[in-house]
Amino acid sequence: MAERRFLMGNEAIARAGAESGVGVVTGYPGTPISEIPQSYLEYPWIHVEWSSNEKVALEVALGASLCNVRSMPVMKHNGTNVTTDFLMHLNFTGVVGGLVLVSGDDPGGLSSQNEEDTRILVHEYAELPVFDPSSVAEVKDMIKDAYPLSEETKLCFVVRPVIRICHSRAIVECEEVVKPRPAEFKDDRARFIMSAVEVPGYGGIKRPQLRHRWLNEKQNEIRKIMEESRYNSVEPGEGSIGLVGCGIGYAYIKEALQYVGKRYPVLKLCTLPLPESKVVSFVKNLDTVVVFEELAPVIERKLKEIFFDRGIGIKVLGRSGFLPSDGELSPEVVLDAIKKLDPTVKAEELGAPELGFQAPGRMRTQCIGCGYRPMLHALKLVSQKHKGIVTGDIGCHDAGSYPPMELQSTIYCMGSSIPMATGIASAGANRPVFSVIGDSTFYHNGIIGLINAVYHRAKVVALMCDNGTTAMTGFQPHAGSGVNIRGETVPTVDVLAICKALDVPVRVVDPYDIKAVKNALEEAIKDEGVSLVVSRRPCLLLSNRQGVELFEPSPVEVNTDKCTGCKICINTFGCPAISVIEGKASINQSACVKCGVCVDVCPVGAIEGEGYKRAGE
Amino acid sequence: MKHDVLIAGVGGQGTIFASRILSSYAMAIGFNALSTDTVGAAQRGGSVTSHVRISDGEIYSPLIPRNRADVMLGFESIEMLRHRKLASKDTVYILNMHKVPTTFTMMGIDKYPSDDEIIEAARRISDKGYVIRATETAERLGIVQSANVLMISALTKVDPFFSRDKVRKQVEAIAPKFAAANLKAFDAGYELIS
Repeated sequence: MAERRFLMGNEAIARAGAESGVGVVTGYPGTPISEIPQSYLEYPWIHVEWSSNEKVALEVALGASLCNVRSMPVMKHNGTNVTTDFLMHLNFTGVVGGLVLVSGDDPGGLSSQNEEDTRILVHEYAELPVFDPSSVAEVKDMIKDAYPLSEETKLCFVVRPVIRICHSRAIVECEEVVKPRPAEFKDDRARFIMSAVEVPGYGGIKRPQLRHRWLNEKQNEIRKIMEESRYNSVEPGEGSIGLVGCGIGYAYIKEALQYVGKRYPVLKLCTLPLPESKVVSFVKNLDTVVVFEELAPVIERKLKEIFFDRGIGIKVLGRSGFLPSDGELSPEVVLDAIKKLDPTVKAEELGAPELGFQAPGRMRTQCIGCGYRPMLHALKLVSQKHKGIVTGDIGCHDAGSYPPMELQSTIYCMGSSIPMATGIASAGANRPVFSVIGDSTFYHNGIIGLINAVYHRAKVVALMCDNGTTAMTGFQPHAGSGVNIRGETVPTVDVLAICKALDVPVRVVDPYDIKAVKNALEEAIKDEGVSLVVSRRPCLLLSNRQGVELFEPSPVEVNTDKCTGCKICINTFGCPAISVIEGKASINQSACVKCGVCVDVCPVGAIEGEGYKRAGE
Repeated sequence: MKHDVLIAGVGGQGTIFASRILSSYAMAIGFNALSTDTVGAAQRGGSVTSHVRISDGEIYSPLIPRNRADVMLGFESIEMLRHRKLASKDTVYILNMHKVPTTFTMMGIDKYPSDDEIIEAARRISDKGYVIRATETAERLGIVQSANVLMISALTKVDPFFSRDKVRKQVEAIAPKFAAANLKAFDAGYELIS
């Protein structure tokens, strides 16, 4: 029985999976998709996991698919990059049970290290069919259509929602959920053994070429499907300018057209491959089309190709120069484009009123009372003293690279800190090299870099920030947490045991104990080869939620007679509960969580209190 | 008819809960709703923005287009002003005078604007604005976590689209665990605007 619910895009995606009889859900957390696996927890029969990384997530999902069980791997755009090697085999073998890869993009990099368009990877490179939803309701329909299509074509289907779909809430129709099919594995070595073996009967060509031929032939099949797809449609209008809306771009066109008082022809294109006949018939009486898509000019270029091949002379404008080539689309981007092309359009527009002052910007930092702040502070003191170089990684600790701390010199992608430090050391920098990495990132990819560093005896000190969770994206558990996504107790993959096996010297410290962290780092610098300092205390926010106390409350106050106004507590330590009032440090008592750590930060003892004391000791 | 509400604040101020109350209210009275939250690193002191779009027809864009916001709620002194291009002369705003310093204002690199500067900038948006002290009031009542509900309650006083009784019911229904504090806040919020 259909029921209307107000769901977040990510919840709608999970609901659609459950209604499609999905049996295995995998993924690695990251904005904008983190909420999808968690939304599956209400269905106890579904295997849901936070995988070690996205490549693993896709591999687990295909394993399930080979058992004829429907699966959904979920990742953000950076994670889809991580799958590339496996993806470029999965496209050749195809699937058995429906496999729908959800790849969430973050145009504008609102919560990412970069911005990119995964349609290029999954469609242009891997040649897989893609659905690009224009609304929350549509992403649900697309997932439900993608499963039977994936089985019919034997291809992995990709649904690519952008952040504005994942993080929007709208009314959607919900139907009955369906239990997964029982697992049934059938051998099919001709497909599933991807190897350079000669296949009898094909004139000596090898299997990779044969499977490539299969994928090429599949393109005609999916072109036909997309030609009929309800996600591509023509809305007639007047004039010689046509607007092409892809995914969320369609929603912004429809929004903008409410304000321009003119009916332009609109072509909605939410699939790849494109419905070529629809495209050609749309432009019959047009001389210009503008393509609104997130984020790269993928469809714009495809249209140019179609028109060139058919000798159609038409101007195609879009993200390759006419519209901004970076950042998010918006209704304004559409309005501005229409006004630029059509001088008869006069949508009134008020300028933004004067502010009259410079609005101060907000920079992400660690929470007040987070153990990472004193830990990074200690590293900064040691690194400064020895003129060290610090490479960083992804996680809450990366905010140490911003002002005021400005500690890490590099932030790239998951797991790159230790290899980059290895490179700096191997180049002969002749300065101590430190790398900062989180626990979830260590299991994701960091362990590989550590093995490489050990193998090559890199003189690197790795500081592992072990807070027991993937804090940055909302406390998702990982292999070291001891619990799974359902909160069930599972084996803990202990980093200390791994390091023991690698014969890496390890020092475990309490990040709140600045002196202990400093001492451990000072000793680690002297070690031969790789040395690991594991800073181990749970995430404060998560502990607060679980009602676990990390420290005895230690109220602090500034003795203004002693305070010299050196600002080390602000410009280096950077606790948001400390500010300067009339040249002296001052504690904002309502913001302070009484961890007491700043007592050890002040060089002249002007911050007075008992100081940090671990709870229960 | 449509009703677009922008809510701006910083992490921990309950902007998303406020957005949920407004969307649920809209649906309860038979309207369509579409909302989106930009949370960035909300838990770590970043800016948080919610767009709540309500209409009796189809809603396409999750983002409110420029000059189209009917209502703007500023949970923190400067956050609402960042979105002033969404406002028009008809926009009704409620600004909570509550300063959350930034890293740079604490370091003395940036200057946090004075109350007068903020109020003056807000007045340039429209003359249908209200400046209240919701957080201060909530703190005094010992329910600082419910400052968001004070803001929503204040909204029901200045914007007839939001029925006081029906919004109050949503506040109660959505978070039954915190109903006592939230309803206390709701009743106090109404008194903040005379």
